[in-house]
Amino acid sequence: MITKARFLMPSAWLRPMTLLGMLAVFQACTTTTIDEFRQGATGISSEDSVVILGRTPVSPNDADPSQFVECVGERMASGDNAINVIPEQQFVDAMFPWFEPRMAPKRNEDLQLMMAQPMVTDIMSGLGVRYIVWLDGQTERTNEMGQLSCGLGTGGGGCVGFVTWEDDSSFEARVWDISSATEVGTISADAVGQTYIPAIVIPIPLIARVEANACSSLADQLKQFVQGD
Amino acid sequence: MSNCTVSVNHAVPAAVLAQSRRTAKPVFSLCRLQPLLVSLMVLLTLASCAARTVNVEGSYPRPNIPAIPLVLGVYYGEGLTDFVYTELTDSGEEEYLVTSGDTHEVLFNTVLPAMFERVVVLDSLEAAAAQGVDAVFIPRINEFQLGMPQKTRLDSYEVWVRYNMRLTGVDGSYIADWVMTAYGKATASSFSTAERGINDAAVAALRDLASNFSLGFTGVPDVNDWLQRRSSQ
Repeated sequence: MITKARFLMPSAWLRPMTLLGMLAVFQACTTTTIDEFRQGATGISSEDSVVILGRTPVSPNDADPSQFVECVGERMASGDNAINVIPEQQFVDAMFPWFEPRMAPKRNEDLQLMMAQPMVTDIMSGLGVRYIVWLDGQTERTNEMGQLSCGLGTGGGGCVGFVTWEDDSSFEARVWDISSATEVGTISADAVGQTYIPAIVIPIPLIARVEANACSSLADQLKQFVQGD
Repeated sequence: MSNCTVSVNHAVPAAVLAQSRRTAKPVFSLCRLQPLLVSLMVLLTLASCAARTVNVEGSYPRPNIPAIPLVLGVYYGEGLTDFVYTELTDSGEEEYLVTSGDTHEVLFNTVLPAMFERVVVLDSLEAAAAQGVDAVFIPRINEFQLGMPQKTRLDSYEVWVRYNMRLTGVDGSYIADWVMTAYGKATASSFSTAERGINDAAVAALRDLASNFSLGFTGVPDVNDWLQRRSSQ
């Protein structure tokens, strides 16, 4: 009797689980919107490099986009039409103290003032920097709902419940052309996705990879933008 | 540390004594072991109470700025080299001792030679005249604050430092006296230990100071006035 019950149980709950899983996979997808605003012509040679910089936090409440910056840089430096990307820390150290959090140029006018310094232009030329991309933004988690309970007994363990939340990644990339010390465009990426974790004995996490999708979409668009396509 | 009291009772339990009268051999070994065990317990208890010391260490890039044509004397005195910040627990016990005198010297010894034509590190303020310097710079730490993730509920270690910067003539006369603040943050989840997090947040704060100081030095009103008076002479 017990053996029979054990044998029948998986197939009994597998069917609804499969349906639930398929439904959740379908709903766990991410929607990414990319907006591009071009202000000037672009183009890049094989000797030129791009620097991706994040707005480093200068107060406790500021978001730290360093992981996103790394992700965008890695994506731009790989694949088809890969671009030379100078690592953020290497660039900031070489340019010290001009790109430290409190000193970094925030507006086009600040960039022009900074580029008027012969030492700054010399280092930029030495590094082969053609474009600086300023990244700003964050991922916010909202609409967290549900409850998941897990237990462990002598006969085994398991989880029951359902939790869900929404992630919203909103990032903006401002592209500065160093050769003309002007802003040549802005690209924004907005990705939204709902994560579901249903659990009937085993939790099935259906994670919406919101920030990863925002990163890849923004990096691909930036690559095209600086190449002038 | 002061609230951590350790009481040690060396008395041998009565049951053990009674047993020792009946069988000598096993009690002999227990008696031999007891002081060792007690000492071990005391050491363990004291170790768990002791505050952990973080001696901030870091390297700092040389600033890329044009040098001011001045010979500057710098004096690392009290309030900088001997400054120790003590972080207390909620119950008032010492938790961390943060020392940053050495790393401040490393920082200024990297930054100042890039900012000035020549820099002389002075052993005392009286030695300034003999060294032929134009002015003497005396940095001091006024206040140090530490933000720990478990207290701020943020995923980061944070360090705030307030400095008093003083620039005097060779004879100790006033040139400028101003306050500077520095802030550094390090993401908590990136570090395996709190000591590493505190260190990196402090190094970030020192970089912040270095950038602000090197680019803002000539913008300090009294320093600017003094430089203009010198250039017009």
